[in-house]
Amino acid sequence: MAEKKKTTTKKTETKKPITKKAAPVKQEIKKQAPAAKPAAKPVATGSTTQQKPRVGVFICHCGTNIAGSMDIPTVEAYAKTIPGVAFVDNYQYMCSTPGQGKIEKAIAEHKLTGIVVAACSPRLHEPTFRTATKEGGLNPFRFEMANIREQNSWVHMHDQEGATDKAKDAIRIAVAKAALLLDLFPKKVPVEKAAMVVGAGVAGMQAALDLSAAGIKTYLIEADTSIGGRMSQLDKTFPTLDCSQCILTPKMVDVGREPLIELYTYSEVHEVEGYIGNFDVTIRKKARGVLTPTEATARGLIGGGCNGCGDCDAVCPVIKPNAFEMGMKPRKAIYINHPQVVPLIYTIDFDSCVKCGLCVTACGPEKLAIDLESKDEFIKVKVGTAILATGYELFPIEKKEEWGYKRFENVITGLEFERLICASGPTGGHLVRPSDGQTPKKVAFVLCAGSRDNTGNGKPYCSRFCCMYSLKHAHQIIEKIPGCTPYLFYMDIRSFGKAYEEFYYRIQDEGAKFIRGRVANIIEDPKTKSLHVMTDDTLLDRPVDMEVDMVVLASAVQPSDDTNRTRRLFGVSCSSDGWLLEAHPKLNPCGTTTAGVFLAGVCQGPKDIPDTVASAEGAASAASIPIHKGEVELEPYFASCIDEKCAGCGMCVNLCPYSALALVEKDGRTVMEVTEAKCKGCGTCGGFCPGGAIWMNHFTTPQIVAQIDAFLLGGEQ
Amino acid sequence: MERTKGYPAALDKKLQDTRLYLEDSNPEFTKSVKAISRTNAHMCYQCGTCTGSCPSAPRSTYRIRKFMRRAVLGLENETLIDPDLWLCTTCYSCSDRCPRDIIPTDVIMAMRNLAFKRDIVPVNFLKTVTAIYASGHGVPNNDVNRAAREKIGLSRDPPTTHTYAEYMPGIRKILDHYKLKANADRIIKEREG
Repeated sequence: MAEKKKTTTKKTETKKPITKKAAPVKQEIKKQAPAAKPAAKPVATGSTTQQKPRVGVFICHCGTNIAGSMDIPTVEAYAKTIPGVAFVDNYQYMCSTPGQGKIEKAIAEHKLTGIVVAACSPRLHEPTFRTATKEGGLNPFRFEMANIREQNSWVHMHDQEGATDKAKDAIRIAVAKAALLLDLFPKKVPVEKAAMVVGAGVAGMQAALDLSAAGIKTYLIEADTSIGGRMSQLDKTFPTLDCSQCILTPKMVDVGREPLIELYTYSEVHEVEGYIGNFDVTIRKKARGVLTPTEATARGLIGGGCNGCGDCDAVCPVIKPNAFEMGMKPRKAIYINHPQVVPLIYTIDFDSCVKCGLCVTACGPEKLAIDLESKDEFIKVKVGTAILATGYELFPIEKKEEWGYKRFENVITGLEFERLICASGPTGGHLVRPSDGQTPKKVAFVLCAGSRDNTGNGKPYCSRFCCMYSLKHAHQIIEKIPGCTPYLFYMDIRSFGKAYEEFYYRIQDEGAKFIRGRVANIIEDPKTKSLHVMTDDTLLDRPVDMEVDMVVLASAVQPSDDTNRTRRLFGVSCSSDGWLLEAHPKLNPCGTTTAGVFLAGVCQGPKDIPDTVASAEGAASAASIPIHKGEVELEPYFASCIDEKCAGCGMCVNLCPYSALALVEKDGRTVMEVTEAKCKGCGTCGGFCPGGAIWMNHFTTPQIVAQIDAFLLGGEQ
Repeated sequence: MERTKGYPAALDKKLQDTRLYLEDSNPEFTKSVKAISRTNAHMCYQCGTCTGSCPSAPRSTYRIRKFMRRAVLGLENETLIDPDLWLCTTCYSCSDRCPRDIIPTDVIMAMRNLAFKRDIVPVNFLKTVTAIYASGHGVPNNDVNRAAREKIGLSRDPPTTHTYAEYMPGIRKILDHYKLKANADRIIKEREG
């Protein structure tokens, strides 16, 4: 009752000056606030935990983002009537330095016990206002945010009255919680001085090189038998026309040599446990059948192990298509991807090996590198942070049946073109028609093949590098095959990067023909195996039937096969198209919502090589910060057990998705115990516990009940 | 009017102002085409897959892509008076391949519906209405067909209204409900006297 009286008096006090002089509201409150002070005098000062609540409410205009959609003075006047509110203020940008200063000043002047800022999403500025709360002398966890922007003004832009009412509700609910908030103290945990990079394409290699250069032990995990990824399959790079292998090989060699990088090829991440600073990762090292010199030494075979001589390759009787060459070249069951592989260690494809033992004999008694009985090995490592760089693969373009890939021999993909035009490829760099080995004189390039496609059979996004590599392909055939004309069928040429538009100019000048029309379908001449490309020249407004010798599909890209499994292990989300989800698309493109896990390269979304390398360097820098700091603070939102109430039933233990709970003996009773560092505060156990014995810090039952009451009862007690 | 010897009135037509003006656009047209066709008629990005797939385009002036553009911009008048609107064979090849998942064929059908509301419709389409009203078939059976059917061991008439004439009143009732026959008769009379 006393509480109620107090608020009514406050209400009248606040109302008076407003009706008298409505103009500068902000100053009114400042004048008004000290007057309210005596009313709260009996409250004990000093320890903030025991005190009667004195909540300060700060309403942000966010320019017109919030103020444009609701009536701030009305919201402010209402906030002053909420029980427990001792001070109300508003400001154009609460996140600005003067805005934060208001919080700090008000805490001291009005002896506040809790802070509510009604502004944007806590995702954006909770850390900002927690810091301000701390600077003002309160525990930072005595701050609560009311989201009146993302969940209010932005969605109710055309409903001023409704938005105003909803803001009142949001603030009332936040005040109810702020009044009951307790001091919490984040736990500091040490960070393991090691990192992991998953995927050793150009992104993963760059990230690993940067981390090791910063003095951090780095485990680099690659699923394939050699490193280099997609970039090592390319012939040249746009727009500089550097030889891709030539600029990549030095990096590959550096990765192989760097003592701080521990390279695991033909391996995958098997299991991940733990949290930022302390990830326990199990690596599955797949049975390779061939020992490295180090492994041989470990087995006591001094001077043994694979030296890449290739004697085994020569005798192996099994022939399989080489995936590195897009299946256009044979390989043996014991193989390397290409002559420049790092590491230069052969691998046995046990799915096709017949275990004839010829390779063992060829390898000889000195090296003894081949072990036909080798098994998968599991290696446990501890790392502080991890970077995912799992890359991409081509969308299976045969699903777009109208273009005839896999039905017509002379329809190939961009990656197959790369191998055919590459001097180290299956044809020694001679572009030939797969049907008859002839040199093509007219080559059509189909851009946006499967990209920018909303049919569900295709990808809705732009794959971002196909325009540019198709321009490069056009250049390469003009350069290599005299009299050969490239025809590029395009919707838009997206040459957005540095020196890209200039490259487009150059290729058109060299004689490439650009036809603005998406290819409707391709028909094969059954006799000649030539192809009719059917489209609409939209600029000429005429249907086109163009007979060409060969078609190159610039196929859309999609996340690589194993991405989904790997991301789940690390607790990383993905968007509906499968690309891994960054913490913020603009302000935190390398981070994820899982602390300590970062993204590099195309696994986050299509990128060309410059963007991939830049993103890898960003991820490496972000991943090294916690390691260099040496310790991280964990949010103190963990569950804790109220031992007196706990019946020791143990049902929560099995429910916990993070294996953070265990049953222990305490004073002769079985009770639950939380490993705080493992607990993520998800609340699963707290919500379930039949005895109400689990106390969820910062989301306690009394706090949540107060919020619900505040909403349902409209603030009435 | 004769302007220059050798260049008659056609020159005046050639020199007409053909620029697109904002007044040519009717946003309501885009909305009604979308509502009738039940497809995202406003989402076309003019890639040309439809015209490239069209069996009519190589041998006529019909350009489905152009009609899609007119749907996006709401160019009602030029759409409805363009005789090309009636050259679609409704084969649905464009709809199979449209990367924006639009059904251009249904956009054309919607436009034809809107044209008919203004009595803009070729007489041969109206004669089809008359034929359906009379026999239940747009292309009724004839003696050549009957002979062919007999030859391959089929009944002389198919098991449709040709065999079951008792269903004709029902079909006529539907056509009458929408005043299709009455309107067709009226327009044919106006055109042919």
